[in-house]
Amino acid sequence: METGIRVLLLTVACLALQGCVVRNWIHHRQEVRAEREAAKEEAASASQQDDIEAPPPRVVEPEVERRKITVPKIKSSNIELGLHYGALSVEDFGTNQVYGAFAAYHITEDFFFQGEYGRSTAGRTSFETLGGNIQLLTNAERRFTYYNLSLGYNFLPGEAFLGRGIAMPSAFYWLGGIGSTKFGGDDRFTVNFGAGYRVLPSDWIAVHITVQDRVFKSDLLGVSKLTNNIEARVGASIFF
Amino acid sequence: MCLLVALLIAPAMGAAREHLQVFVTEPYLELHTGAGRGYPVFTVVPRGESVDVLFRRTDWFKVRTERGVEGWAAQKDMQQVVLANGAPFTFPLGDRAGYTSHRWEMGMFAGDYGGATLVSGYSSFYFNSQLAAELSLGQFLGKFSNGTTGDLGLTHIIAPEWRLTPFLMIGTGFVHISPKATLVQPAERTEQTAYVGGGVRYYLTRRFFLRAEYKAHEVFTHRNANEQVDEWKLGFAFFF
Repeated sequence: METGIRVLLLTVACLALQGCVVRNWIHHRQEVRAEREAAKEEAASASQQDDIEAPPPRVVEPEVERRKITVPKIKSSNIELGLHYGALSVEDFGTNQVYGAFAAYHITEDFFFQGEYGRSTAGRTSFETLGGNIQLLTNAERRFTYYNLSLGYNFLPGEAFLGRGIAMPSAFYWLGGIGSTKFGGDDRFTVNFGAGYRVLPSDWIAVHITVQDRVFKSDLLGVSKLTNNIEARVGASIFF
Repeated sequence: MCLLVALLIAPAMGAAREHLQVFVTEPYLELHTGAGRGYPVFTVVPRGESVDVLFRRTDWFKVRTERGVEGWAAQKDMQQVVLANGAPFTFPLGDRAGYTSHRWEMGMFAGDYGGATLVSGYSSFYFNSQLAAELSLGQFLGKFSNGTTGDLGLTHIIAPEWRLTPFLMIGTGFVHISPKATLVQPAERTEQTAYVGGGVRYYLTRRFFLRAEYKAHEVFTHRNANEQVDEWKLGFAFFF
């Protein structure tokens, strides 16, 4: 009997403890739920504030990617290189053939910058021809070499027509500049001026006819004087 | 069939275009027969159509339309076209902004080198809008001697955005002097030099500016004392 009472009391005690545990657990769950609710409410109110500042959600996501364009370098074609051949009249020394090269840089449609180099060999003066064996200059000194830097101005641009079907851009131009001439064993400061006509059969080729005067001081014939040395030439060039 | 599909797709891909394709956004793009303001307009490209940019000469662009017609478009009209992705077509302009900041410039001078007449040319490469490496070559033609001179140095533009702006120079070079044969000491000599200098440049229009400068050269001779040579020159130059 004593044992039965003990079992009963133990059972009651266990049930009572279990009841307490369950009650405590329920109470704890209620607290956790309340905390979660409070947290949710806080988050909701915070997100509402954010929504006012944040941009509206995207309705359509763009599917087209922006095309990437690699811009190729545009080729510039302003440089002109050419050769020329013609006749040069060296004052007092007759007219002789001249040949050389030139390079131009076209700065605008109106102006260009040109460098020229040319060679010729002067002939004999009338004095030498009439005087027999007299030699004023040695053969080396008769070599006439010049270079100059000039500014060119396309004075009359236009078109040249070949029949009905072909039109070629052309221009009449002025040239003027400074340079140096080696003649008679001396280098002389030289001023040049002239005019020319350029026609372009294609975008890359030009044909020139130019007349240019090179003026320098010379004392080869005893007195110092300004000499005019007129050159007429044809040239062909390529644009780069 | 595959070939046909490939042929249809190939032009649309556009990846292997040799030339830059630009689109007309103004009502039309005028094409001239030549690279100059006076050449007549012979066709127009309507808005929305494209042209291929073939090359550029001075301030003109040679373009080819979708129909294969080739003509010249002016720089100011090409500023209005856009690339295939809608971005503007930009290219260096020969204007005041280009004067302030450019890569290359070239010019020619006339002046005085220690009493002799000087002809010279120069070229500069700009690292930024203020600092440039400069190479100049000249020939001087005097009463007692002729010669050539070459300088390599740095130039600092003090205020590149000003129309009239001073600049400073420093560098080294050489001078080759050939005394005239009539004097007793005909020995030619080449000496190393160093220089400091300064000058001003003044923007004219388009790609042109004037430039005046002074250089004080110290010539390192093989004799006991060095020589000093003053160089004054005035010229015009252009940038590109």
